[in-house]
Amino acid sequence: MTASNTAPPMIRMESVDKFFGPLHVLKDITLQVPKGQVVVVLGPSGSGKSTLCRTINRLEPIDTGLIEVDGRPLPAEGKELANLRAEVGMVFQSFNLFAHKTILENVTLAPVKVRKLPVAEARKTAMELLERVGITNQADKYPAQLSGGQQQRAAIARALAMRPKVMLFDEPTSALDPEMVQEVLDVMTTLAGEGMTMLVVTHEMGFARKAANRVIFMSDGEVVEDSTPDEFFTAPKSGRAKDFLGKILTH
Amino acid sequence: MRLRALTAGAVTAVLALSMAACGSSDSGSANPSVDAGAQFEAGTTMAKLKTAGKIKIGTKFDQPLFGLKGLDGKPAGFDVEVAKLVAAKLGLSADKIEWVESQSKFREEYIEQGKVDLVVATYTINDKRKERVSFAGPYYQAGQDLMVKKDSTVDGPEALKAANAKVCSVTGSTPAEKIKEYVDPSNIVLFDVYSKCADALRTGQVQAVTTDNVILLGLIDASKGEFKLVGKPFTTEPYGIGIKKGDTKFCQFIDDTLKAADSNGDYAKAWKDTAGKVAPEAPKLPELSACS
Amino acid sequence: MNVIFDNFSLYRDGFLQTLKICAFAAIGSLVLGTLIAGFRVSPVPPLRWVGTSWVNVFRNCPLTVVLFFCAFGLPEIGVNGAYFWFGVTGLVLYTSAFVCEAVRSGINSVPAGQAEAARAVGLTFTQSLSTVVLPQALRTVVPPLGSVIIAMIKNSAIVGAFGVGGDLFAVGDTLTSSRGEAVLPVLIGVVLGYLVITIPGGLALGWLERKVAIAR
Ligand SMILES: Nc1ncnc2c1ncn2[C@@H]1O[C@H](COP(=O)(O)OP(=O)(O)O)[C@@H](O)[C@H]1O
Ligand SMILES: [Mg+2]
Repeated sequence: MTASNTAPPMIRMESVDKFFGPLHVLKDITLQVPKGQVVVVLGPSGSGKSTLCRTINRLEPIDTGLIEVDGRPLPAEGKELANLRAEVGMVFQSFNLFAHKTILENVTLAPVKVRKLPVAEARKTAMELLERVGITNQADKYPAQLSGGQQQRAAIARALAMRPKVMLFDEPTSALDPEMVQEVLDVMTTLAGEGMTMLVVTHEMGFARKAANRVIFMSDGEVVEDSTPDEFFTAPKSGRAKDFLGKILTH
Repeated sequence: MRLRALTAGAVTAVLALSMAACGSSDSGSANPSVDAGAQFEAGTTMAKLKTAGKIKIGTKFDQPLFGLKGLDGKPAGFDVEVAKLVAAKLGLSADKIEWVESQSKFREEYIEQGKVDLVVATYTINDKRKERVSFAGPYYQAGQDLMVKKDSTVDGPEALKAANAKVCSVTGSTPAEKIKEYVDPSNIVLFDVYSKCADALRTGQVQAVTTDNVILLGLIDASKGEFKLVGKPFTTEPYGIGIKKGDTKFCQFIDDTLKAADSNGDYAKAWKDTAGKVAPEAPKLPELSACS
Repeated sequence: MNVIFDNFSLYRDGFLQTLKICAFAAIGSLVLGTLIAGFRVSPVPPLRWVGTSWVNVFRNCPLTVVLFFCAFGLPEIGVNGAYFWFGVTGLVLYTSAFVCEAVRSGINSVPAGQAEAARAVGLTFTQSLSTVVLPQALRTVVPPLGSVIIAMIKNSAIVGAFGVGGDLFAVGDTLTSSRGEAVLPVLIGVVLGYLVITIPGGLALGWLERKVAIAR
């Protein structure tokens, strides 16, 4: 983490506020994620985790403050923003695979349309990625024909196809049947091991302990705790975190 | 500015028309004297109408100078006056007439279905129509002519082709068919009413408007000097009075009525009170064709 | 009924003229309507505003008024041209508002996550609309769009009265008023002409509907 003093952090949020109408969902968030770090975001439902995630690639615009990705402030809506989003991978809770395209087409679409890669080359890379997430045999099927776990792995492959600098995961396993959770977490753990910068909203404590460098605990739109997984799980400082852990761990 | 001019133009046109209508209905309402003692052979249309005490007459409601419905709800014009002459001879005063608007395309239907007893509606006699209805008259001889802008050099239908001019008329009208002999179909512009043709002429979308000269007179009257009549009719349009096919006795009766009106001055007066305001020279009653 | 056979060439020309008006107007209004629908869902507020106003103006104006403005308003401001194109323009403007709303309802039927995922991988707004959202919207859009186009074909009869002429409906007018033919048989011929366009059109739509429904 000493290296981060010279290079700009991958994600920098400075006094970010976000409102939905009268609702103050992000309150004065200041946060840096250095390159290569894996950050898990925890917190009760409605605390603003998804919103935090979505502001980083400007799927949600913020009201005040500053967000930089790899040293560049987020541009306004337009071509430049599209370029930035291409470098920030995002994985959704509900997969959001393009329903009218095959798995292979899902993975090659953006490289061809945005990066202007030749189709053959995009297909080759896509097949390698599908191999990495273990679903090469599903390449020509449509999303609806796949299990949830397979769909989510395809969605990860789709994001990776753009060779992103950073990956955002918003509860990637929450919509999955329990027996499929692990196959997705395995892919994510491998990715973390390869040095990808990741911001992961999840309730999977096992993943947090094993793969994360850092845990951020949010409550009511605020960052309440920011520590290592070990520290957080063994000795949470705030009452709200203790409360939260108590509820989670009884499951 | 332009829009204002358009609105103003439309308003003046409407005003001019309605004023013309009011004007003619005022003086035109000096109705012909009713022949109260008229006697008819039993079983004839005339006898039936006289007994009924009322008559249904089809005329145009949108034809300046011939049949134009005024703000009082009654049509006025030369056709209307001619119809009143016929009714009067039947012993029916003007207030016993039920006026039925008769657009060109419905005239035969109305006569056949008995919706009207007779039609006086700028109704050109031709063989095709004679297959379905009979005609009394003609009571007037019109002719197809051209209306152009005041400064136009077009002097007849032959000049149109040379000038590659666009000509406007009304969809489905006889003049629209006839003009095909003079200009290319792609240069013929058709609307549902003549007032649109007048507007197209004003804005330069077309270079001429064609139809029967008397209809053009009404438009020229409303144009406040912007348009003129070329004045060389290239067809003859004998206007007849449409009645049920084969009703020879009724036809003869109407013809006699026309002749009488011509000799006693009623015919000339009817013209003077209506179309005569724009074309002062009273027409001569054309030679009547035989009833069949 | 002889009137139809006796005047077959007149009917045929009218049919072709109607077909020509409809073909241009259909292409124009589909393209324009989809573009305006894009405006209405765009992230750029002024474009959204233009889209909304467009629909409000042209959907709420009687077609006759729109055509009046094209045929008489345009020459008034110095735009002279063929009435055929004025008429087609009027029909396109009017129909585009309905196409826009049909397309927009189709866009709204596509889950928001699809557009979000498209943007998240770096597609621009236009790209995500054209490659992700619209293809999926097509499924729900075909039936209402079919109704819009069939209504447009029937509306083309009104265009004929604005200086275009020569269309099926005008043929009916010519036969009844200047040739003095009986109204009913003439109109039956006119109706047949429209059916020859609309019925195969409806069948083609049904086919298209099944085709886009299977492709998923
Ligand atoms: N699009 C939206 N419009 C209005 N309110 C929203 C919207 N998205 C989220 N919220 C509200 O913002 C708050 C934070 O939501 P979210 O970021 O989804 O929380 P979390 O992901 O931690 O459950 C919640 O109260 C939620 O109801
Ligand atoms: Mg959430």
